[in-house]
Amino acid sequence: MTTATTLTPETGVRPGRAARKRRPARAVSALTRSSGLALGVSLVWFSLLVLIPLAAVVVQASTGGWDGFVKVLQNPQTSAALKLTVVQALGVTLLNVVMGTTIAWVLVRDRFRGAAILDVIIDIPFALPTIVAGLVLLSLYGPKSPIDVNVASTRAAVFLALAFVTLPFVVRTVQPVLEELDTDVEEAASSLGATRLYTFRRVILPSLVPAIVAGAGMAFARGIAEYGSLVLLSGNLPFKTEVASVRIISSIEGGNTASAAVVATILLVIALVVIVALDLLQRRVTKRW
Amino acid sequence: MSIEITGVNKSFGDFVALENINLSLPTGQLTALLGPSGGGKSTLLRIIAGLDHADSGSVEIEGTNATHLPPQKRNVGFVFQHYAVFKHMSVAKNVAFGLEIRKRPKAEVKQRVAELLELVHLSQFADRLPSQLSGGQRQRLALARALAVEPSVLLLDEPFGALDAKVRKELRDWLRRLHDEVHVTTVFVTHDQEEALEVADEIVVINQGRVEQVGTPDELYDAPASDFVMSFLGEATTLGGQLIRPHDIELTTSPTAVGAIEGVVSRVLRVGFEVRVTVLTDAGEEVVVTLTRTAARHLGVDTGRHVWLSAAAGAVTLPSAGLPVGTPLTVA
Repeated sequence: MTTATTLTPETGVRPGRAARKRRPARAVSALTRSSGLALGVSLVWFSLLVLIPLAAVVVQASTGGWDGFVKVLQNPQTSAALKLTVVQALGVTLLNVVMGTTIAWVLVRDRFRGAAILDVIIDIPFALPTIVAGLVLLSLYGPKSPIDVNVASTRAAVFLALAFVTLPFVVRTVQPVLEELDTDVEEAASSLGATRLYTFRRVILPSLVPAIVAGAGMAFARGIAEYGSLVLLSGNLPFKTEVASVRIISSIEGGNTASAAVVATILLVIALVVIVALDLLQRRVTKRW
Repeated sequence: MSIEITGVNKSFGDFVALENINLSLPTGQLTALLGPSGGGKSTLLRIIAGLDHADSGSVEIEGTNATHLPPQKRNVGFVFQHYAVFKHMSVAKNVAFGLEIRKRPKAEVKQRVAELLELVHLSQFADRLPSQLSGGQRQRLALARALAVEPSVLLLDEPFGALDAKVRKELRDWLRRLHDEVHVTTVFVTHDQEEALEVADEIVVINQGRVEQVGTPDELYDAPASDFVMSFLGEATTLGGQLIRPHDIELTTSPTAVGAIEGVVSRVLRVGFEVRVTVLTDAGEEVVVTLTRTAARHLGVDTGRHVWLSAAAGAVTLPSAGLPVGTPLTVA
């Protein structure tokens, strides 16, 4: 197929124009007085709230040196608690990826009575004080369960509590992205012969992946740090239902702040590793499409 | 006949979008569905594509009854006003989408994609993302993607509606030439009469869910079947109760023609080479006359001047009372 048709430069070749437009040339050092002040205030605030406390924890943890870390990790009860925490948080994160995306889809795409109410209720697990969430779960799924479901003092209790508090994260990150998606893109795919499933996999999902990953990262970070909502229902049984945050508290109560700091640092590192790993995964996955 | 539409009706709640549409569109033609916004032309296009379903009636594409076929099975190419490109895929991947679904061998897909990008002048952008293209380029990409699967019909829904005037005009010319080359049966929706007159082999005028007239651009312009068609395709004004094109009125400063209507110039508006003169006749009618700048200057047309108006020889006029379709035209 050849063509004799021609276009003027206006609509034809336009190399690099879009790229230039998106990144206006601006020197990094060109801060005005007010923006410099704003940057300074932001950094001081961020340091006071985040950087300095984090550094303090790491310093505290490293007072015992490398041996201190090994010693704490060699404690079977502590390592069991860490393992349980990470495994449960990962499981809950996976569940959230599927359920959160589904709920977001339902909220955005389906028109039904009570959609607006459901949209508000989604935030409750996030807004509720965690200890209140723990009480609610205990009264519903504890020994005195009105529906005769008793998961108290089992690993299911840990999973349930984590699932409860992390529910909104993926929903709330995916929802706005889904709202922005044009349905004509899906119609274009279907007229090109794509089935609903194929369209979801090749057209919709790629746009959602960054949002899903962001939500999953937050859900995981919240999951490994959770205390209030599970402390009542799980029973905190060593080697069975005791999680890392509970372990930190008991270390502090026992006067062993160094050990508590070590566990805290390990949680910090795990959270960082998982968030970075998720980001890398997302980049790789989206590149393949 | 490539597309055969019989007795199609479609309502959205109380709103009747299409009413008893019967239409045959021949193979290989470039047809425009022309009409005002909300007139039902896009709905008709979407029904042909299977993106919407008619409440009653049938759609036949290339001899196959497609009324109940899903869009995937119709082998129709569809181009949207806002491009609807796959943003996360490269230009080449976008074009390959339909071919990959059809599980064509990789080498064949690659070759076909290269051909199509050549056709739409996007070869050098094959590895770019759509966000790095201009609007006109994105629409050409959408066109290549639709043509890749060798559709039996190509449907375009206001394809140039989101582009600026200059690019729109260029793409319009280009679409015409592309069609002369590819010869795929093409239907495009537009509310721009100039676009339809310039590009289409045949125009279907749709208004308020009904087909007003079907014909070639010349037929529609020279022999409009209704006052709606007359006033929608080009400008129209009334002179002595007759619809007439403003440039078909002869304006004189003395009563030369027999039966000329006398009036007073109430407004003179100059737009480039054209001068639009509004004349208030003695009978109380407001008539718009367009003259060239030169003619207006020569006649000395100015506000308050007494002038005489008559239909030029060969002008098409139509009773403006909204008489039923098919009323014989009076040629002055």
